[in-house]
Amino acid sequence: MKVMMNTGRTVDQGANVENKRSVAYRDETSTCFMHFFDMMELGIDEGENVLVASPYGRVVLTAAADDLIKPGTIFVPYGPYANHIIGGETHSTGMPDFKSTEVTVDATDEPRRTIYELMEELGGLPYDH
Amino acid sequence: MSEILIKNAYVIDPISGVNGETMDIAIRDGRIVEDVGGGAEVIDARGALTLPGGIDSHTHICGTKVNFGRYMSPEDMRAGRTARHGYMHATSGYSVPTTYGNSYRYSRMGYTTLLEGAMAPLEARHTHEEFLYTPLQDTMANALFDGNWSILEAIRDGDTKRVAAIIGWFLTAVKGFAVKLTNPGGTEAWGWGKDVTCIHNPVPNFEVSPSEIITAVVKANEMLRLPHSVHLHCNNLGKPGNYTCTMGTLGLIPDLNKKRQTLYATHVQFHSYGGSGWSDFCSKSEPVANVVNMRPQIVIDMGQVMFGKTTTMTADGPMEFNLYRLHHDKWSNHDVELETGSGIIPVLYRRKNLVNAVMWAIGLELGLLVKDPWQCIMATDNPNGAPFVRYPEVIALLMSKKYRDEEFATVHPDTESRVPLPAIEREMDWYEIAVMTRAAQAKALGIVDIGKGHLGVGAEADVAIYPVRADEVDPAVDYRKVIEAFGKTEYTIKRGRVVSRRGECLVDGNNTTIWVKPKISEEYNMANDPDFIAKFDRYYTVRMSNYPVQDEYLKRNLCIETEAEL
Amino acid sequence: MIIKDTVCPFCGCLCDDIEVTVEDGKIVATDNACTLGTSKFLGDHRMKSPIRRVGKEWKEISYDEAIDYTVDMLLDADRPLLYGWSGTHGEAQCVGVHMAELLKGVIDNTSSVCHGPSILAIQEVGHPGCTLGQVKNRADIIIYWGCNPIDAHPRHLSRYTRYANGFFLENSFRDRKVIVVDVRKSQTTNLADEFVQIKPGCDYAVLSALRAIVRGKGDDLPRTVGGVQREQLFRIVDLCKKAKFGAVYFGLGLTMTAGKYKNIRNAIELVDELNRHTKFTISAMRGHYNVYGSNEVNTWMTGYPFGIDFSRGIAFYNPGETTAVDILARKECDACLIVASDPAAHFPRPCIEHLAEIPVVQIDPYANATTAFCDVQIPVGITGIDAAGTAYRMDGVPIRTKKVLETAYPSDEEILGSVYARIQEVRQP
Repeated sequence: MKVMMNTGRTVDQGANVENKRSVAYRDETSTCFMHFFDMMELGIDEGENVLVASPYGRVVLTAAADDLIKPGTIFVPYGPYANHIIGGETHSTGMPDFKSTEVTVDATDEPRRTIYELMEELGGLPYDH
Repeated sequence: MSEILIKNAYVIDPISGVNGETMDIAIRDGRIVEDVGGGAEVIDARGALTLPGGIDSHTHICGTKVNFGRYMSPEDMRAGRTARHGYMHATSGYSVPTTYGNSYRYSRMGYTTLLEGAMAPLEARHTHEEFLYTPLQDTMANALFDGNWSILEAIRDGDTKRVAAIIGWFLTAVKGFAVKLTNPGGTEAWGWGKDVTCIHNPVPNFEVSPSEIITAVVKANEMLRLPHSVHLHCNNLGKPGNYTCTMGTLGLIPDLNKKRQTLYATHVQFHSYGGSGWSDFCSKSEPVANVVNMRPQIVIDMGQVMFGKTTTMTADGPMEFNLYRLHHDKWSNHDVELETGSGIIPVLYRRKNLVNAVMWAIGLELGLLVKDPWQCIMATDNPNGAPFVRYPEVIALLMSKKYRDEEFATVHPDTESRVPLPAIEREMDWYEIAVMTRAAQAKALGIVDIGKGHLGVGAEADVAIYPVRADEVDPAVDYRKVIEAFGKTEYTIKRGRVVSRRGECLVDGNNTTIWVKPKISEEYNMANDPDFIAKFDRYYTVRMSNYPVQDEYLKRNLCIETEAEL
Repeated sequence: MIIKDTVCPFCGCLCDDIEVTVEDGKIVATDNACTLGTSKFLGDHRMKSPIRRVGKEWKEISYDEAIDYTVDMLLDADRPLLYGWSGTHGEAQCVGVHMAELLKGVIDNTSSVCHGPSILAIQEVGHPGCTLGQVKNRADIIIYWGCNPIDAHPRHLSRYTRYANGFFLENSFRDRKVIVVDVRKSQTTNLADEFVQIKPGCDYAVLSALRAIVRGKGDDLPRTVGGVQREQLFRIVDLCKKAKFGAVYFGLGLTMTAGKYKNIRNAIELVDELNRHTKFTISAMRGHYNVYGSNEVNTWMTGYPFGIDFSRGIAFYNPGETTAVDILARKECDACLIVASDPAAHFPRPCIEHLAEIPVVQIDPYANATTAFCDVQIPVGITGIDAAGTAYRMDGVPIRTKKVLETAYPSDEEILGSVYARIQEVRQP
């Protein structure tokens, strides 16, 4: 399903922003908030995973129903999961398209990865002490 | 111990009564002394014009509004770039240079002391932070009190002592130097998008008029025995016909101080306009200058306009909005809670624009028509009338009728019928220029006693040596040489160190911030006043304990303590 | 021990009324702080010592070794990028600018990915604003546009708007109207007197429609604009014109969506227009507690608020070229010093891929997503907790943050000062 991805700050994302290794930060920033109708169309339930893909990459998120979200759009709290699929074009402003990236959403059985797994995929080395 | 001997200096030092004597100047550890030992570093001035370091008693160089002028104007930043080299950092900006840009460019013109004309107390920390990056001049700041709620209430209640006590608390808290009123009452009215029209127009909600504010604050200023007088930006700036308001304001001021003026009226050019609108706009410099000539308790600065691009910035928020509606370029505004306002717009003064040409003439007329140069200071209200780098041209215009006539021939042809300038023959001499660019400033600011503005024994060794033979050059004829000489010193010496040599700044300086602290009795100590504290807590968005500027923001500093009559 | 009037180093509200309780060298409780502030004050799991990546391992190293590595990395680079800065104090930012200048590097701060577009708009049309207290004491109408203060600036409503009584508003809740404009409902929209839901990407059109109505040209508008009924737009303009003092606060909902800085420009011009009828102001909801400070410091030192390239000796500014995302996405920089931010969590993927390929040093109290891309990380004291320094509130008011804890961590300023001094020895003997 084609949708427009919006990202933004949430209170749970902010409260854990200084502790990015926490489960709370991971859970919040890997959530794909979407309208119940869209979830029905994908045939998924709350807590099940979705594969979100753009021309820049793909990432597995966990779906959560939120009737504040308009059908045809998804909201992902600002963080490493959303950024995994956002491109570097800034249209001469310095600002990427954080709030207007077109993506596809599909049901998936793939597991959601940890932030460090995402980082490893891009060439990083997790620090876990 | 460091010693310098300047030999063969052609000295003009009005405060010491020296007018063109060739002499030596001895410097030890940052002060002027009688003589120095044989090991002193010798600077041969070769008869060049040697003056006390220049002082700007009204300029906008540091703080919230100035920095916003930079922030909103990348086009201005691009217009004045220099690369880092030697000890000099990179600089940007033409009309609102970066802090290093201001400091280096003032230094190469021989300036060693600067007064920031308008600091909102709530944002004082910002001004002091920028002072730390203005390394080659001593700095001080006027604190704004034009719309201070506690003061407006105390004036309404007729309690001048309380007015003084509140000013004392704020000045000490924000490490300010003097009391500034910008469009008194008007900035508070601007909180509602309104303005006051003249001095008898009441301020909404506070039941006081600008004239009551001005007279009460002038009295309070003297109760605090502050070195400087009240520093006033009159109401009605920039409006045709405002000269009557200006004359009315100057007429309010009694003579309360033997050592200096009782009122410093700033950028009076912008307040000397005749006419009922832009179509019959004309100069009223003559009546305004006459009032100044009759009232020794008044000192003014010119607020000279020069043609070209600049940025206007003032605490006078409503004025800037009016200007925006004329220019339609870009407009910034920044009201400061419980205290004041501010506005910024870029402007281009054009010689073919009749209004601009009249403005240009008025500034010069004031300089030439005020008889006593100690009463009329050379300034452009940097950068409002023009950036300070235009000072050498202003000086040359004051010194040369020929130059004025040549310039006048290029302005809008109708200017002649609107201004008296072409009929004024006066040409300033070197001594008068020395008064108008340093000595009068030192006296007006009340900093002669701390060694500013002169070269007498004991004075701070701030010296400017200009590459011109004042005894040989006729400034009325060779005005180009005047412009060149005042544009770049041979040496600028700050506190006994050579800081600028032919435009190259040689050391990373270490300036002094000068501030005042009136000693006030416990009875009038606002820190213990329940009503003052309660209102502070309720209406400010910064806690009273976090409000004062901490000592960390003053590296090298000089506190002038005064014995207040409170 | 209770320390009063502490300054919260989380968001741009920079609340300075926090009470912090310190026991046995730890903060155990806070009073007055919001969830975000409390979690920062009570934060745990700080990195204990500098670390260095050696192959597939992390090794603890000394501060001296970490500084050596940083100096060598920066001196060895042709085009170093010095990025972050919004989460540290102004004194450290000043050192950063001097360092960038001497290295002929690029310095950018996080505003390029938050309110950079707002600054571009301001550079086109200016900014009619005011301090927060002016709004608290006077504003009878508040418009939140594309922002969600309940989540991002939780005390903005209670300190300055919805619930804050002021000098001219004895009963704020009753006397102030709050309008929220957003593409989605949020907790903030629930508190609004009027919620305007617009279609994503339609902010520009709605702002233009409002401007048209203010100018008396509303009759030409279609029945709906950007998903908003014409009647609602007229009602809003009517409320604005009747107000004595209006304040618009906008967030990333305007800066990050299509149109970017043009949205902000349109919003500012709407406010300019309203000022011909009554008093109106507009301000950005700045995120990091000192992101505005990094703009201020950069401006007075270089002339520009962000994205400054010193490669030619002069300060050169061209957002879209000299900004961090672009420099990384173009794979241009060959070393990166990151101070007090977390680009690996907040930058788009191509930028992070480049970070993985170049030497990176991060100065930050915590391990974060960027740690994974570092060669060296240097833990420091947290400004406002175990380091003091200047921060600028979202409205430009500077406040000195306090040091409430004694720890052994050096401050950002100290680490950067050591690095800069070493660079000066080589580049400016």
